[in-house]
Amino acid sequence: MADKKKNKVNRQIASTHLTSKKWQTVVAILGVTFGVSMYIFMNSFMNGVNKTQDDLAFSNLAHIRIDNENEKNDYDPVKAVFSPATIFNISGRKDIQTETDIKNTNEIVDIMNRQQEVKDVTSQVNFSVFFRNGSKKINGSISGVDPENENRMFGSADKVIAGKWIDLNYMKSGMIIGKELAEDLGVKLNDNVNILTPDGASKNFNVIGIIETSIKEIDRSRAYINIGSARQLLGENFDYSTCVLVNLYNRDETSQVVANTEKAVGYNMETWQDANQQLVAASQLRNIIASAVSLAILLVAGFGIYNIMNMTINEKIREIAILKAMGFSGKDILNIFLTQATVIGLLGAVTGLLLGVGISSAVNQVPFKVAGLTTLPIHYQWGDFAAAIIFGIITTILAGYFPARKASKIDPVVIIRG
Amino acid sequence: MTTVNKNTNALEVKNLVKYFYDPSKFQVLKGVSFDVKKGEFLSIIGKSGSGKSTLLYVLSTMDTDYEGNLSLNGQLLTGQTQNKLSAFRNEHIGFVFQFHYLLPEFTALENVMLPAKKLGKMSLEEIEHKAYESLRLLDLHEQALKGANKLSGGQQQRVAIARALINNPSIIMGDEPTGNLDSKNSLAVQDIFRDLAHEFGQTIICVTHDNDFARRTDRTIEMEDGLVISH
Repeated sequence: MADKKKNKVNRQIASTHLTSKKWQTVVAILGVTFGVSMYIFMNSFMNGVNKTQDDLAFSNLAHIRIDNENEKNDYDPVKAVFSPATIFNISGRKDIQTETDIKNTNEIVDIMNRQQEVKDVTSQVNFSVFFRNGSKKINGSISGVDPENENRMFGSADKVIAGKWIDLNYMKSGMIIGKELAEDLGVKLNDNVNILTPDGASKNFNVIGIIETSIKEIDRSRAYINIGSARQLLGENFDYSTCVLVNLYNRDETSQVVANTEKAVGYNMETWQDANQQLVAASQLRNIIASAVSLAILLVAGFGIYNIMNMTINEKIREIAILKAMGFSGKDILNIFLTQATVIGLLGAVTGLLLGVGISSAVNQVPFKVAGLTTLPIHYQWGDFAAAIIFGIITTILAGYFPARKASKIDPVVIIRG
Repeated sequence: MTTVNKNTNALEVKNLVKYFYDPSKFQVLKGVSFDVKKGEFLSIIGKSGSGKSTLLYVLSTMDTDYEGNLSLNGQLLTGQTQNKLSAFRNEHIGFVFQFHYLLPEFTALENVMLPAKKLGKMSLEEIEHKAYESLRLLDLHEQALKGANKLSGGQQQRVAIARALINNPSIIMGDEPTGNLDSKNSLAVQDIFRDLAHEFGQTIICVTHDNDFARRTDRTIEMEDGLVISH
């Protein structure tokens, strides 16, 4: 009861200090506001950049790719049959063609779909062809895709600039062709393109769509057809594919998914981290920069708050001495100034949050028309908001604590005697 | 309210020795001993540098850097922790400084109420009522709601006196408590002090230059060169 009353007095004194010199309180709050808002802005901007980069990279990169291409064939029939000491001479030795495709696609897809980390699975039949239109002949590649799963995984439908992606589903002789490839061939929507496979099969396809990814290499050389048509063209059955692509809910869990399924799958499994090490490095470097910059900002803000609290306390040194002479203990003084710091920290964190979101949304309106972007990217994360508020308040309290502790140790006699 | 018992000592000092170390070691108090009875109105006089203010700050429990023993109300305070001393000051000692020292951001009334709020033994209404009474006693009730920094020097000093009275401290100490007052107000304050001492048994100890002031007190201790030369 008595303790409660005493704390009430301390709070009352703290509030009088805060309200009697409003400009000083406002300046102190602004220090926190600035730090917190810059922290939020920097992180939201960095997240935006990272997210854009990732979206771009993962627009045609699966988290895990399953194929049969890198399988090494160490089997040497000569060594297997004859004893090591045998001397032999084979001239003009030839290796037989190894299988580079997946014969049991449905089984692999089922295995991957059963993993709880897995979000989407799709299979592709990829092969190189000649695209022909009249006398024009261009070397390129065909992707036979499962249109729905492909779209779920890579958002292909959004990249189609003429026609409809989903038409691939039922138009078995329809083809969606890269924008520049179409230009090079001189074909438009609804024109026909003849394709010729390496094995000599030839078929006419109708251009039902034109696609523009942000990757030139693909736009210049690739066309998409239904996976069924692709199998038909190659004379393969419905269980055939050249690769199975897997996306996870959390793309950082690739290694554990690979470890869990490697045996059952029995094919080469390549994670995006292995396939794109520069992507991992760039993303990590950006995160380091973002952390370093926001830490520096908060540190500077922290020093600002420390200075202001120090100034406030130096200004109030006589009053602190009087309070002590009247019977306020060092603990009370600490309490009074920490209360002020906490109020400044809370107000600064809240206004900083608002300002940070304000600055970020303003920056998000700045035009920036490069690589599929229209404005500068901003991406908000709850974690950043929480970290900014917590760090803002903790910094303020710490910055207030040291001057307040100094104040609590003031010897009233020295001050009052002058 | 403190019971009036003139036969017990409100304050006992034994062989008080104190040094200043800055700029060089210097003995300010050279073994001061005396007692003050409950309900006594005491003045301490002496020239500048005689150590009388230093003595008062030791008596006030704020200065703990001394040798010897200090007891107030029969309680030995030498060697107590700062927190205990703070609590003791809050309840038992009222202090009037030489340069009035109010909290400038608070009103006169709030300044007077603060020590009582800190003590927390009365309700807010009681504290406010009592603060008004103290201010009226010093003819300041009309200034109660003015900011402390808006008052004249004399008014501030009287507010400080009202503040010193609020918790009914058993001992009131003043360092030139009437130094900023005109003769009329100075006399009024001295009358208040005498009433408090004689009717309510509160002990008053004042350091002063003013020989007229000293003459009106019950007893005068004179100091010179860190020693009590008469009492």
